[in-house]
Amino acid sequence: MSNVLEVVGIEKRYPGVVANKDVSIQIEAGTIHAIIGENGAGKSTLMKTLYGLIKPDAGQIKVFGSEVNLKSPQDAIALGIGMVHQHFKLADNATVLENVILGSEPTRFGFVVKFDEARKKLVEIAENYGLDIDPDEPLSNLGVGERQRVEIAKVLFRGAKILILDEPTAVLVPQEVDELFANLRELVKKGLTVIFISHKLDEVLSIADDITIMRQGTTVATRKPNKTNKKELAELMVGGELPKPKAGELKVSPESILSIKSASYFRADGRQILDDVNLELHGGEIIGLAGVEGNGQSELIELIMGLIQPATGSVEVLGLNAATTLTRDIRNAGVAYIPQDRQRDGLLMTAPLWENRILGHQFAEPMAKSIWVNKGAAIADSKRVVSEFDVRTPGINVLASALSGGNQQKFIVGRELTGDPKLIVAAQPTRGVDVGAQAIIWEHLMQARSKGAGILLISADLEELFSLSDRIAVIYSGKIVSILNPTKTTPEDLGLAMTGAQSA
Amino acid sequence: MSTNTNSAKKSGSKTKSFFKSPARVTLLIAGIFLIISLVEVITGATDISSPGTSGATLRFAIPLLMAGLGGLWAERAGVINIGLEGMMIVGTWTAAWFGYLHGPVIGILAAAFFGLASGFFHAIMTVKIGIDQAVSGLAINLIAAGAARYLSGIFFPPVGGDRTVSPPVDTLPSFSIPIIAPILKSIDEKEIFFVSNIAGLLYGVTKELSVVTVGFLLLVPLTSWILWRSKFGLRMRFSGENPMAAESLGINVYRTRYIAISVSGMLASLGGAYLALVASSVYREGQTAGRGFIGLATVIFGNWKPSGVFAGSILFGFTDAIRVRQAESVTALILAAGFVALLLSIFYTSSRRWKPAASYFTIGLVALWINQSVETIPQEFVTVFPNVATLLVLTFLAQRLTPPAMAGMPYRRGSE
Repeated sequence: MSNVLEVVGIEKRYPGVVANKDVSIQIEAGTIHAIIGENGAGKSTLMKTLYGLIKPDAGQIKVFGSEVNLKSPQDAIALGIGMVHQHFKLADNATVLENVILGSEPTRFGFVVKFDEARKKLVEIAENYGLDIDPDEPLSNLGVGERQRVEIAKVLFRGAKILILDEPTAVLVPQEVDELFANLRELVKKGLTVIFISHKLDEVLSIADDITIMRQGTTVATRKPNKTNKKELAELMVGGELPKPKAGELKVSPESILSIKSASYFRADGRQILDDVNLELHGGEIIGLAGVEGNGQSELIELIMGLIQPATGSVEVLGLNAATTLTRDIRNAGVAYIPQDRQRDGLLMTAPLWENRILGHQFAEPMAKSIWVNKGAAIADSKRVVSEFDVRTPGINVLASALSGGNQQKFIVGRELTGDPKLIVAAQPTRGVDVGAQAIIWEHLMQARSKGAGILLISADLEELFSLSDRIAVIYSGKIVSILNPTKTTPEDLGLAMTGAQSA
Repeated sequence: MSTNTNSAKKSGSKTKSFFKSPARVTLLIAGIFLIISLVEVITGATDISSPGTSGATLRFAIPLLMAGLGGLWAERAGVINIGLEGMMIVGTWTAAWFGYLHGPVIGILAAAFFGLASGFFHAIMTVKIGIDQAVSGLAINLIAAGAARYLSGIFFPPVGGDRTVSPPVDTLPSFSIPIIAPILKSIDEKEIFFVSNIAGLLYGVTKELSVVTVGFLLLVPLTSWILWRSKFGLRMRFSGENPMAAESLGINVYRTRYIAISVSGMLASLGGAYLALVASSVYREGQTAGRGFIGLATVIFGNWKPSGVFAGSILFGFTDAIRVRQAESVTALILAAGFVALLLSIFYTSSRRWKPAASYFTIGLVALWINQSVETIPQEFVTVFPNVATLLVLTFLAQRLTPPAMAGMPYRRGSE
């Protein structure tokens, strides 16, 4: 069989980060080729490279045997490469047909759209590939699975021969996954090639003809599904050895500072996000929450901070019922919160640092004096944070947006750790920061722990989880599937738990 | 998200099944006329369906229609145009001044050109520079009003020491539709119940039509055609619904918005030109009198559809016409509204939807009570009536509106 797509030695560097290196993949015609890996393993960078959104620093891409230079998605489309994005790019207030043809409308005289011709072509594609869509249906009537079919039709309408699907099952319910897989099998039967990105081992084993595993920006192996198993794939994904936990004296206090009892949560559309979550955190310990992103971590944090209410069960934070307590009161009771998206939830990007220092403490001394903001105290304490946490900034009057990501993060951590909080919810505290900043943040978190604070650490970084945590809870599709002891856990255990293979 | 889609599905299909059938729409309109005819007989307020009223309605409606279409073009492409009022001022002034110098045809063309320029200015502000859309629009309103006064002082010859009025401009040609208009006129004069009412109304809109009126009315189907049949329209709609998706498919959202907003300015300005050249024959300060904002309301009323904008401008034009011609008609209209509400209540009762049935029943009773207990409606209320009507309509329709999803949101190229 011939290779329709060949990637040789692709490398892509960003300042301080290597996103891809030595990436090599051979993809055969008429197959479903899965690419699996953890968050940050470099899958997305590779896909963007193949779709012309990113230009690699080194390496070759061969499409249908000849080397190509992709400058834009239009180049990729012209070569027959189509991308089905994880986040659909569709408009609700238009029909399926309009969504499909946008940008490559067949026209008369260059401006009158030949809707009849386009409809005929779309119906043909739909019949040929077994896609169940109605061209004239308004998109607002469609569910998620149908929307995905529209995205696939959109790519096929442009004559794609190679389809890249970026985590297509992330948004689907199991039944829709089955439908999608049936569609994909139909596509390859007709000679198309599918590249399927995922981190769910079960799915990959059931649908793929080849599986390539990526880790830390590089391709580590390619396997046939019938010659491998979940155990091996999990090991390849997570890597051979786990970071060693730091020996630290553990002084766990008997009182529970965070107690979540059989909490569940449903999204507005009825989808269950959290399912019977139980978690108990004591003062002086760090619980790491491991899991692939989008398995309910964000909602769990929001429950704790009182931003959303559980459908069933209870969340008790420092003795307060989080569901009925204002977030302001939860914070005032001694809860620090390092949000995962620092620019969206952590800072006012267009405000100076000293104003950002006040955020979250605006109702309590010393940042507030009766109804007034205490500017003097804010300035003084901003200076303390800047020096204690080594925030590299020309001054405290500069806008938060002027700082680099790592320095923004150090400033947030410094602000949140002020005043010895009793519970610290730290979501991805060192994401995207350099090694030096990471060391400083880790040190301060460990200090807070030794002062008796309980820390819930949500992280996608295994090194961070293993270095800091006293216990590691693994969350998978809204459930805490296991609680591991970092000193005794093997990569295999963790990999299996995180990919949901353990429960099967 | 998906709950939204589900409810949209339900309500969408229901409204569609009722309003999409042409027979039913005809029936509905006929019913409304029957009620109006009845009300006229009951109250003796004969002006509601007189040719004078329908003619005036059309004259009041056209500027609103043009402003509304202007708003529609901008918002469909994703940019809200608060500056319609200012762009109409641009139209009134330039149409009058260039019309005075070179004749009304040049006046119209000048208004189109300067309107296009004012729209282009709004596009530079909002699309290129990324200024808040409301701020840019307000700035245009203020600049246009100020500039018009300043330029009037410089250019207009003083008329009795007053420099806020332009010298008169020649009128544009107008015509009555042959054969049809005289026939309608004769039917109207026979005073047959219901039939004559309709004939009178139609006579009002077929006699002494300005060519400009006809041309502007044709813009309604033209806009519809562009939006739903042409390549540019499809791209324009996606620029307003999901510019990120459009950009990812190789569409130049910036260029599309530039064109749409420029056209928006041109249409609003032509609405202004109508005020100066057709509805009157001079520029007068304050001539637009907030019509740009009512035009913006017709966009919402019309659910961002050209036909809806047309219906909205007719409704607001009608209330305006009634206000100017015969204030007593408002009392009669309240009675008519009461009857309509009661009929709707019966309709909803028959389909077992108790909640709307009850609320329409209440509205009907209140309207009848007002009609019985109030001798004459205060002039202040009559003046404010169009605004109240807008408010009521928007309150009741708000649940079913489908505005362009990204209208009013800032969009930068390459954002996710």
